[in-house]
Amino acid sequence: MANVVGSSVCRTAVDEGKPADWVPGGEKQTAVDPMKMFHELPREQLFITGSEAARESMRRANIDIAIAYPITPQSESMQQAGYLYDEGYIKEYYRAEEEIGTFSAISGASRAGVRSLTATSGPGLMRGMEAISSWPGARTPIIMLNMCRVINTPLAIQPDNIEMSFMLNTGILMLHAENQQDFYDFPLAAICASEQVDVTLPAVVSVDGFFCTHARGPVKVTPEEYKLPPRDGWRSAVPAMDNENPPARISRDAPIQKSNFISYHMHSSWQQEVFAAVERSAKYFRKYLGSLVEVVNPGAEDFIVASGCAVSQAREAVRQEGEKGRKVGLVKIKTIRPFPTEEIYEAVKDAKRILIPEFNQAGWLHKEVCSVLYGRTKGVIKNGPRVYGGMTMPTEMILEWLEEFRKEVK
Amino acid sequence: MLIQDNLVLTRSDPSGMGGTQLIYRLKNYGLSAVNRPQEEINQIHWEVEVIKFKDDTVSSFEVCHTTELADKTLKFYTDKSLNEFIEKSFQYFEELGSLEKMLPQEP
Amino acid sequence: MSLETLRPSPAFKDVLPVEYKDLVEHGPYNNRNGKETQSVKVTDMGKFKEVIEEHPMCAGCAMTLFIRLTYIGMPNPEHTIVVGTAGCGRLAISQASVPFIYGNYGDTNAVASGLKRGLEVRFPNQKKDVVVMAGDGGLIDIGFQGMMHSWFRKEKFTTIMLDNEVYGNTGGQESGMTNHGKVLKMAPRGKFGDKVDALGLAKVAGVDYIARLAPTNPARVARTVRRAIMVAREVGHSYIQAYTSCNIEYSIPTPDVMKDAFEIEKERYGFEEIISPAAKEYLDEVEKKAKKKKSDR
Repeated sequence: MANVVGSSVCRTAVDEGKPADWVPGGEKQTAVDPMKMFHELPREQLFITGSEAARESMRRANIDIAIAYPITPQSESMQQAGYLYDEGYIKEYYRAEEEIGTFSAISGASRAGVRSLTATSGPGLMRGMEAISSWPGARTPIIMLNMCRVINTPLAIQPDNIEMSFMLNTGILMLHAENQQDFYDFPLAAICASEQVDVTLPAVVSVDGFFCTHARGPVKVTPEEYKLPPRDGWRSAVPAMDNENPPARISRDAPIQKSNFISYHMHSSWQQEVFAAVERSAKYFRKYLGSLVEVVNPGAEDFIVASGCAVSQAREAVRQEGEKGRKVGLVKIKTIRPFPTEEIYEAVKDAKRILIPEFNQAGWLHKEVCSVLYGRTKGVIKNGPRVYGGMTMPTEMILEWLEEFRKEVK
Repeated sequence: MLIQDNLVLTRSDPSGMGGTQLIYRLKNYGLSAVNRPQEEINQIHWEVEVIKFKDDTVSSFEVCHTTELADKTLKFYTDKSLNEFIEKSFQYFEELGSLEKMLPQEP
Repeated sequence: MSLETLRPSPAFKDVLPVEYKDLVEHGPYNNRNGKETQSVKVTDMGKFKEVIEEHPMCAGCAMTLFIRLTYIGMPNPEHTIVVGTAGCGRLAISQASVPFIYGNYGDTNAVASGLKRGLEVRFPNQKKDVVVMAGDGGLIDIGFQGMMHSWFRKEKFTTIMLDNEVYGNTGGQESGMTNHGKVLKMAPRGKFGDKVDALGLAKVAGVDYIARLAPTNPARVARTVRRAIMVAREVGHSYIQAYTSCNIEYSIPTPDVMKDAFEIEKERYGFEEIISPAAKEYLDEVEKKAKKKKSDR
């Protein structure tokens, strides 16, 4: 039965209002093996914004449902998701009431066993944090795009990735895109990893807002007639909440009831399992992305370890130092969770100086790197340069820090 | 598609403002085309400088406002208009190169 | 449990759990007399296997009775998913043989919105009923925004408010549904403001089927639940507000719980149904068909 006449239902059947011979875009695509999509299909180079790269990624991701609430600088991408819905590449879509509503609804969608996507930015992420931190324990594969933005007062819409630090210990898989290309590739890889049976976890792909979302860059994309295979709701670490299972007491989300009934053991083992699943996802990211890190100039004495936009600036610093005949190494961290502990150690174990530039005040990446290198290397780790609140990080800044660093540590 | 001929460097804009810088080089002259982020995506445009290289490296150059091509920073709002300008400047640089050869060499 | 997806081999019957066998042989899953929806009768309570039996609720709790009746009223429990939140009700609801999503406090109607839409994408040929069953605090206070917006969007699921007019589970604090002047924890000078007119809000939001009732008439509870779920399946949103007293926090002696329900019903909680024209047309059609089938037999 169609929607009731005169009702203000914003939801429509996917083909409502379309001509009789209309074929949804998604039905014209062919599903291909993820490995083929990532490594074999030919690629065409476009010059597009990060938001457009996200759209092209979503077009090929076989998304069942997308729910989001607008916030700068995310809105650009999620209104593009709306067009994809209209074109039939996404099957269901709506603008939710706010972020708690958004992230709760998307967890409901994922529990139904369908591929679910949402997106947000800084303050929106913080508003929905309770819901987000409940996703991993609920074992809901969800893909979230996060366009980083200042969260502190005074209010600003500038890029600053401090919000990522709030997700580090939730059990969510975290990727940090350097540029438009990563913002195209990473969501596809994250979807595939998150839906593996031995993972069954949500994933977030963060990117530094504006610098990447609202600027153009080269992006190599696969032909749009190919898409990822659909999510298989039956393949999962826990059953979908679809009532297609035998009548056990399936309150899967609540092995925990009222505190006096809890088996504390049960809760701790549940948490252990979530964090073990994060580690298990590493093998899939290695397959899909080639590696968890990218290392430039292995064996160098000086190393820059970075993620996100800071990598681009560091890359240019490395290039300029190379022109002057100085070899500086670079470790680009693609996955923040799982954290590539051994890869980082292997890359920098013989380095003398390790510089960690970041786009946030707290230096969360510095702390992460220190925690894995402590006691294992002799290199000196320097926490900076750090810019925040929308400040820029010119290449010169990294070069100056390197120069100072060389004077400090001979 | 942006012209790929003589494109010697594509990098993240070193000012740190985000966006991409393309550097084209033909002999000693070239173009720097920068594309920075804009709050309104439809405002994204190219800022183009004619540049003169100092040595053989790709990023050692200075802005040159003394050619007939441009006496200021140019703005292009489409890739098509940028491409047209790039082609025009390649021709100009070729001619400039041969003209410069005719000038008396400094001792 | 989908009756189509899972059909255990008869050879394994002996080793199947007795609960499963009872549900299929003596419960709502198979007791259908050729009908599509379950046909167990409220008047037979105690004679068939219920979807929910064991629970840790307080003795004499009216909410428990209401929840049991709700499960009996579900037209297709094998294709139903219940969404709940913190509160007394979920202690019983999570014991049912129907999947239960226990989310964060106040997220029920948002979770249900995504769930229902997801299920419609995944099972285009199988209606799945989604029912939110949460307390007054979970819906009218912390869950207010999500609830209202799911109503505005006419999400196709049912909201059932277990209105005990207090935060029972956290130890007796006043809620938005507490009556004006009532002294409870966190309202030491009496509740400020009136009981929120949730029925009025539902009406304004355009909810297609709205009902208020007390669990005084078990058959009526089951019928109301069934009607609400059927409307949500085909027409729009439905909302049931049930008086489910808290005999602990309101100090109602256990033997007097039903007496209280009758009194409150008479005083201010009388049965009321508000049905949109579209929902009425649909219900008439469904109920006429059911009657015709009966007379044919």
